[in-house]
Amino acid sequence: MIKELEHKFISEFQENQNIVHKVCRIYTSDQESHNDLFQEITIQLWKAYPTFRGDSKLSTWMYRIGLNTAITLYRKSKRSIPTQDFDTVLHKIESTDYDNTEEEQLKLMYKAIHQLSDIDKGLIFLYLEDKNYSEISETLGISEVNARVKMNRIKTRLKTILNP
Amino acid sequence: MDELELLKRDWKKQEANLPKISYDDIYKLIHKKSSSIVKWILIICIAELLFWSGLNLLIPESYLEIYEKFNLRSFLNITQYLHYAVVLIFIYFFYKNYKTIYVSESTNLLMKRIIKTRKTVNYYVYYNIIMYVLLTIILNVVMFSNPELLIKTLNPGESAVDGDLFLKILLIVQVVILLIMFGLLCLYYRIIYGILLRRLNKNYKELENLDI
Repeated sequence: MIKELEHKFISEFQENQNIVHKVCRIYTSDQESHNDLFQEITIQLWKAYPTFRGDSKLSTWMYRIGLNTAITLYRKSKRSIPTQDFDTVLHKIESTDYDNTEEEQLKLMYKAIHQLSDIDKGLIFLYLEDKNYSEISETLGISEVNARVKMNRIKTRLKTILNP
Repeated sequence: MDELELLKRDWKKQEANLPKISYDDIYKLIHKKSSSIVKWILIICIAELLFWSGLNLLIPESYLEIYEKFNLRSFLNITQYLHYAVVLIFIYFFYKNYKTIYVSESTNLLMKRIIKTRKTVNYYVYYNIIMYVLLTIILNVVMFSNPELLIKTLNPGESAVDGDLFLKILLIVQVVILLIMFGLLCLYYRIIYGILLRRLNKNYKELENLDI
């Protein structure tokens, strides 16, 4: 029984492991913490798997558990990179020399994303994953209006970095 | 909107070079529980040390006077420090086990380390039980080898007692206490470390199945 469940979990997880890797990519910046977070999320998913009833899609469930694990882990741990207000981050970034190549733009945006608060990271991540607001609000457990407001704020700010 | 689309495009492009974890590796990941079991062994061991050394501080001086009369005070102090040193060494080993299990990459290595941890825990338990029994026996042998002093110390009022009978009862009481304490110690280690070791064993068996 347990063996079967385990086999099913591992197969399904293997197919969808990209989700977990991407969560790790948003929340960590080096390989070691990427692996740590990946392991932690995998264990949490496996622990929660017996209670997964298939009400939502497996991928949605994985987004939710993955993001929640990342958020709680980074809230608790002191190893995490200290997060700052978006405005202060932007202020610093704006003051650095600005080069308008695509690569440079991307670098700046990723840099800004990495310094966002835990929840904001989750938001931008789900946005990049092409999720709509009802999915975002369900996954992060915030209201749809709240998600919309926060997201718009991040978007406009990201744009102003590049067009000061 | 261009910039955000650019970001989105790049994000999608990155998907191609995300790592791929194999079935076996995922299996191992969800069995990494071993490291948390070993962590608990470490924590309980440290808590035990703190508990006993804390208890030692609470024992009133007068209680130790009897040992003073038998010139056992320095012996007791020395054994105590030795004991702390040994426990600290065990804590170091537990810590090392925890660290190595935490970073084990291959199933084989993980299994070997689980066996090692199991051995360390067994040694630790044996050490504690043997140490207790041995110390009690030594103390009693020393005290009973000088019966006059023993009676005088325990019966300072010099009330009339049958010396032989008194010693016999005292001996029986001491043996009974030793047996009860021995039983309690065994029970304690069986329950606490037994549970943790069983979990570790289960994990080991699962890993073994995977390896074949």
